[in-house]
Amino acid sequence: MSQVHSNLHRSAWSDWWEGTRRTDIWWTLAWFDIVLRYRRSMLGPLWLTLSMGAMIGGMGPLYASLFGTELSKFFPHLALGIIFWGFLSGTVTDSCNSFVNAAHYLRQGYFPITLFVWRTLARNVIQFAHHIVLYIPVALWAHISLSWDALLVFPAFLLMIVNAHALGLWLGLICTRYRDVTQIVTSIMQMLMFLTPVFWLPENLPGRAQYILWNPLAQMLDLLRTPLMGGEASLHSWLGILGWTVVNIVVCALLFRKYRRRVVYWL
Amino acid sequence: MSAFISLKDVSVSFPIYGAGAASLKKTLAASVTGGRFGKETGVTVVQALSNLNIELKAGDRLGLVGHNGAGKSTLLRTLAGVYEPTAGQFRRQGSVTSLIDPALGIEADATGMENIMLRGLVMGLSKREIDRKTPDIVEFSGLGQYIDMPVRTYSTGMMMRLAFSISTSVNADILLMDEWLSVGDAEFTEKAELRMREVVAGSGILVLASHSPKLIEKECNKVIHLSHGKIVGATDVPEEIPAFMEAAGIVVAA
Repeated sequence: MSQVHSNLHRSAWSDWWEGTRRTDIWWTLAWFDIVLRYRRSMLGPLWLTLSMGAMIGGMGPLYASLFGTELSKFFPHLALGIIFWGFLSGTVTDSCNSFVNAAHYLRQGYFPITLFVWRTLARNVIQFAHHIVLYIPVALWAHISLSWDALLVFPAFLLMIVNAHALGLWLGLICTRYRDVTQIVTSIMQMLMFLTPVFWLPENLPGRAQYILWNPLAQMLDLLRTPLMGGEASLHSWLGILGWTVVNIVVCALLFRKYRRRVVYWL
Repeated sequence: MSAFISLKDVSVSFPIYGAGAASLKKTLAASVTGGRFGKETGVTVVQALSNLNIELKAGDRLGLVGHNGAGKSTLLRTLAGVYEPTAGQFRRQGSVTSLIDPALGIEADATGMENIMLRGLVMGLSKREIDRKTPDIVEFSGLGQYIDMPVRTYSTGMMMRLAFSISTSVNADILLMDEWLSVGDAEFTEKAELRMREVVAGSGILVLASHSPKLIEKECNKVIHLSHGKIVGATDVPEEIPAFMEAAGIVVAA
């Protein structure tokens, strides 16, 4: 990357900012990732929406009858669960490879590594946008009525972006150094998909098992999903996520400061 | 503010991770079993560059010669800021264009035009600047209608022409090149050499790694001979370069 100024030894903060401020680069790279993947296909990125739609449409009625729940109550819960889980899990597993996939960039010139963390996140946000539109027909069908509390989904989303970026940064660093951590993360996410109320309703959980809901992904899901279904997320979830956000940012800052210039040696 | 490059006792060493050391499981197993099961987790350190002292000022055109694996590309990458030196002092002033890997940022399924945008962004240009430079880039590359085809349909030479055209569309204070100019045909090589001189102009620095004595003699006013990461010979008298090259054992292939 052409550098306008000669400061080689940027501080960690300015290194982080240098990658973040170039939205034109990472946004374009993210879009290209998606457009190029579907370039020679018939429907292009529309496949993203269709495949998710097929999954929701297929699972909804089946699981509703399996759980013995009313479809109008269950369908929005399931749809949002799958959509948001797809985003959370996709971002986490993609982040493991942010730097490995950018090896040819990092090995040629100086690139602030945060650029590639944002690129992965942006790509997942674009995919999420293709999926969330599916909720609109579901919500209309189930006659979901939204109150002003629904606006709380925006700060929740912002919190999610902050966490996704911080997590993506330190997880990307670890996974570049230890290549098998990526597999470990994938396995954990698969396990968590069943332990988190993605498909099942949290109210069906017996009292003694309530601690299962304390995992940060379950809390995040609560913050994002409940407002969109006309409800209010529990205070427990807000506090939990704020706590996790602090932990995330601290871990990220420590690892970034120490290893940001070593990553290229690990590629 | 003129360009300069200064390396004082610079060393670069690489940790090479065997398949074992890149595995968290094996590293943990090794620490628990006292290293007995962890032989593959050993990290070998390779000294790629040792104690380099180089001073370059505006107008210098440095040639890097040496056997394969001597450290020429590593030095170029260090100058580009990819590898932070593990020892020594490195100071550099001026904007850098690095042509070490011409396929950088080239997406095979994207068209030539899209790749101009991608590579331009990665080089630090804004979208507006890229749009303005695109006609010149297309014209210089000589690709004609192929510019709208996906890059995977290009020959290697065509891809190099595209990459070179994009990269040299910006004037740089410091231009770093790893030799690959020979991939283009004679007509393009001539155009490229002219462009290379323009880009560096009077106030820039050129660092060129090459196996071709003719290219070095033509373009450079200083030469450094690297061997196993160390400088084993240097000259900054342009007239002495041919003799230096011969003494270094770098002769024109018959």
